[in-house]
Amino acid sequence: MTTVKTPAGEQAGGLTGAVKSRLQQLLAFASLVVIYAFFSIVSPFFFSYGNFIAILFSTVVIGTLAIGTTFVIISAGIDLSIGTGMALCAVMSGVFIVNLHLPLALGVPLTILFGGFMGLVNGVNVAVLRIPPFIATLAMMLAAGGLALVLSHSTPIYFTDIAGYTDLSSGFLIPNLPNAVLILLVIAIIAGVLLTKSVLGRYTYSIGSNEEVTALSGIDVRRWKLGIYAFAGLFTGLAGVMISARLGSAQPATGMGYELQAIAAVVIGGTSLSGGKGSIIGTLIGALIISVLNNGLQIMSIPQEWQNVILGAVILVAVYTDRIRKKEA
Amino acid sequence: MKIPKITATLAAAALAVSLAACGQGGTSGAGGNGPLIAIVSKGFQHQFWQSVKKGAEDEASAKGARITFVGPATEQDVEQQVNMLTNELAKSPQALGFAALDSRAAAPLLQQAKAQNIPVIAFDSGVDSDIPATTVATDNKAAAADAAKHLADQIGGQGKVAMVVHDQTSLSGKDRRDGFLDWMKQNAPGITVLPPQYGGGDQLQSANITKSILQANPDLKGIYGSNEGSAIGVIKGVQEAGKTGLTIAGFDSGKAQIDAINSGVESGAITQDPVDIGRQLVDAALKAINHEQLPKRIDTAYYWYDKSNITDPKIQAALYQ
Amino acid sequence: MTENLLEVEGVNKSFPGVRALHEMRLDLRSGEVLALVGENGAGKSTLMKLLSGIHTADSGRFTLGGEPYQPSGPRHALTLGISIIHQEFNLVPHLTVAQNIFIGREPRRARVLLDERRLNADAAALLDRLSLRLDPRTVAGQLTVANQQMVEIAKALSYEPRVLIMDEPTAALNDAEVGTLHELIRRFVRPGTGVIYISHRMEEIKRIADRVTVIRDGEYIDTLDAGTASTSDIIALMVGRAIDTGARPEGVRADRDVVLGVEGLSTKALLTDVSFELRRGEILGFAGLMGAGRTEVARALVGADKIDKGTVTLHGKRVHIGNPADAARLGIGYLSEDRKRYGLLLEQDVKANIALSALRDRFTQAGFVRDGALRTDAAERAGSLHIKTPSVDQTTKLLSGGNQQKVVIAKWIAKACDILIFDEPTRGIDVGAKEEIYQLLNELAAQGKSIIMISSELPEILRMAHRVVVMSEGRVTHVLGAAEASQENIMHYATLRPDENPDDAAELGLGEQKAGHT
Repeated sequence: MTTVKTPAGEQAGGLTGAVKSRLQQLLAFASLVVIYAFFSIVSPFFFSYGNFIAILFSTVVIGTLAIGTTFVIISAGIDLSIGTGMALCAVMSGVFIVNLHLPLALGVPLTILFGGFMGLVNGVNVAVLRIPPFIATLAMMLAAGGLALVLSHSTPIYFTDIAGYTDLSSGFLIPNLPNAVLILLVIAIIAGVLLTKSVLGRYTYSIGSNEEVTALSGIDVRRWKLGIYAFAGLFTGLAGVMISARLGSAQPATGMGYELQAIAAVVIGGTSLSGGKGSIIGTLIGALIISVLNNGLQIMSIPQEWQNVILGAVILVAVYTDRIRKKEA
Repeated sequence: MKIPKITATLAAAALAVSLAACGQGGTSGAGGNGPLIAIVSKGFQHQFWQSVKKGAEDEASAKGARITFVGPATEQDVEQQVNMLTNELAKSPQALGFAALDSRAAAPLLQQAKAQNIPVIAFDSGVDSDIPATTVATDNKAAAADAAKHLADQIGGQGKVAMVVHDQTSLSGKDRRDGFLDWMKQNAPGITVLPPQYGGGDQLQSANITKSILQANPDLKGIYGSNEGSAIGVIKGVQEAGKTGLTIAGFDSGKAQIDAINSGVESGAITQDPVDIGRQLVDAALKAINHEQLPKRIDTAYYWYDKSNITDPKIQAALYQ
Repeated sequence: MTENLLEVEGVNKSFPGVRALHEMRLDLRSGEVLALVGENGAGKSTLMKLLSGIHTADSGRFTLGGEPYQPSGPRHALTLGISIIHQEFNLVPHLTVAQNIFIGREPRRARVLLDERRLNADAAALLDRLSLRLDPRTVAGQLTVANQQMVEIAKALSYEPRVLIMDEPTAALNDAEVGTLHELIRRFVRPGTGVIYISHRMEEIKRIADRVTVIRDGEYIDTLDAGTASTSDIIALMVGRAIDTGARPEGVRADRDVVLGVEGLSTKALLTDVSFELRRGEILGFAGLMGAGRTEVARALVGADKIDKGTVTLHGKRVHIGNPADAARLGIGYLSEDRKRYGLLLEQDVKANIALSALRDRFTQAGFVRDGALRTDAAERAGSLHIKTPSVDQTTKLLSGGNQQKVVIAKWIAKACDILIFDEPTRGIDVGAKEEIYQLLNELAAQGKSIIMISSELPEILRMAHRVVVMSEGRVTHVLGAAEASQENIMHYATLRPDENPDDAAELGLGEQKAGHT
């Protein structure tokens, strides 16, 4: 190849661009390992397969939400409705399966599709009515929280009599690996492939990089944004299934605050809130870092008040180092 | 590029270590090698839970035990509580104190505790399961009935009464609602009780609910608030609406409520004795560790307090600011 | 001879890939109004930015009132005595006139409280001194454009500058308003002060300016006496560079089929009754001054802006283009003048940009991207367009301007568009690379693609365009064939102002329509 007279530094930065982003993920993973090792050393109870699975298990709901919302955030949007949306989906699962006696094989997909429908409504508000995502999804957050209470008559819906529902979460398709963890890993892989290999994923990055350019390049940005929000909504639906399967009940009043934890996981994972950049593996690592910290700090008997302080500090540190890295790039 | 990231990670780790030093505050009570009682409560920041924590710490300290005390941020965070329970069990404590937000969600973990031979002591609203060795709790129904009785007396057994209840999912919410309703139904034919309204125990939300009730029912005689947040919300709502002459019966304590009772805005309230719950919880846990026989229920104290008896030392000990 | 108030000597300034100013000089005498003229991109804006301290010169000397002048920033420039009124207003629309004038230096009480009363009093005094009948308490956003301009001037004069620089101050004003403005300028100018007046409007320059300095291609050309110099002299100096290559449009023929017809295109904002035809294999140049509406035509054509009236026919069939996606489907690609904002995903790599438009047509299977095929294709295109990049994995922002432009071109070629609209295709591209882009455009046209080339550089238009559509004030004022087009006649049609000047309207046959309009 011929070369241009670009400064040597830029050249090098560009050449290793791909390597560098891989490295970033590697470093995030390294941070996770360091934290994990730290807790293993300081606490005799931390390092065990049982606790490892417990950590993964506690990551499932936030992780599922975070994976979905990674798409929205990479497209330079935001979705605040995933927390209460998840509660609404849990309630819908109860409505489908407990109240309407639909079989699991129908009720679960319907719940997930309902999540997609909520996402679609968000998408219409954002892409067609051009309401800023923050406002549109804030409204949805409130509406979904309210609907969850209305549809459940503000009482939890119990799946006690539904054979196999809790097995979705705590059963074992693979020995010693709870289904919830298995599902998280499987959807992470699917989402990862879709984000990097599918048209939807490619346009997610393009829209997030520069919406105007993408539109002027002849891509129907409105339609794809609808798609992105609806697709992310599927994960909200799945999270609703997973949390209700885990708890054995659909808790209508839960979910507020989950959206912020999911966003925190995405951000710790190196996805930029201004869009165009991010990865599923990063998000997964971000969610795991939060879970490991929660678990480890509690096992160390760190007072609960301090756990959030530490979590806040970790988010700042993660985002700050990411900023430094970008400045150097 | 590598250096700042690793430095940052190390800094975070160092922060964690330095906080581990404060961690001694987490395992409170007498240090050393006394039995460890892990307590997973329904809440944390709330004064009530802090008082339970204090009672538990005092008792642990007196009996040479160690405790840890955790609870979710809000009483809706069932999953967070389940995670906390998981993490506490990972520490293999000698006993577990547990107040379930949703008993069924916690069932598998209680099975696990049983398998690990960790005795479980339920407290506050209790656990709907036969695994706990005992339940340390206020008889909420009886306490709510007591509130109903005092409220009915105050308004002379006639008129409309409203209820602001903290939630309809927890056992305590249901008991405090039903205890009040049942007593009214059976003993006060002259009183109409409006359908219960739920404010999530949130002061602001309860205040707003109260104001709309007042708006819709100008002839209202009395209001009942089923926990601290609800009661304070009711007081705020009544004050903001500028209503006087209403009889307010509350639940639990807290500075705002105590002030309202002292100033006469609120007629009186039922208080549980959270410190007593904490004490009895640790006491029962230690007995369970020693394989002593425990009754199925341990009722902790509750009192009706008003302007006349608020300075009583027995009441004072149960109140928290 | 009068002493010089402001002197600029031997100033050079380069931006990455572009030499903006070369040995620029300028002198402003005490008590005079100096007009500064030049084509778009001649270096006027850069010179302004140096004077206002936004940029720093690479070399050269500035002297103000005999003292070296080295502003560290706009605020410093103000305190040293140079006030600039930019073409775009810098008013905060929801603040009042007074608040805008004194923004950043509001009178205060007890250091923290704003003294609103004194603010309004000061503003009223200032407006009074300038004989401007404006209420200081009016919210700026509610004022007419002309009055907003007056507020800008009041704000600039409130610093009591020695030199006032105005960039196209009358662009949005009608004749009466221009009169008020000129009066204001005359009152301001006295011994010890001076005005630099940047404008395209020759008749105005002759009315207000004492002397005219012409610059071109970042260099000083000449200074004429405004009273004696004729408009055509000035235009000749502005455009009068010898065309260095002598290259002329290639393949000019009259017998080409019409591919795209635009009839009576109008938008709410600017365009009025724009009609033209684009033929197969033709390069159709769009010339005009800044704000004439050339970019607006392109944006309306590809559906980026809403069309108010008018029809578009493509291959003889009437089409409706509601958004750029429709345009792309119909094979119309738009290459924006602002590549960085509207053309490229700067943070993404070269192959992602090249494949962006054609992704779904050519590089996907069942919703998944065929990365191998995409990479091969992108690499081939990068090779055939001579895009200089280490690999197609290079982040696009690291490429030079010319290569970035080629990436955008590659994107549209990949999409197999047969109509390409190039908006300022060589803006920000250095001279050598320009020639390559020209070659590329000629090749594309030879392959049968139809090209609309919007350009502010007349030599570029003359070098490339088979026919030239000249626009002014949102109208097509003339269409010239390659043979008859010259810098002079393009400039003539580009400066017609039918809305203000009845003679111009008559020349365009708009006379009756304009009756009763002042």
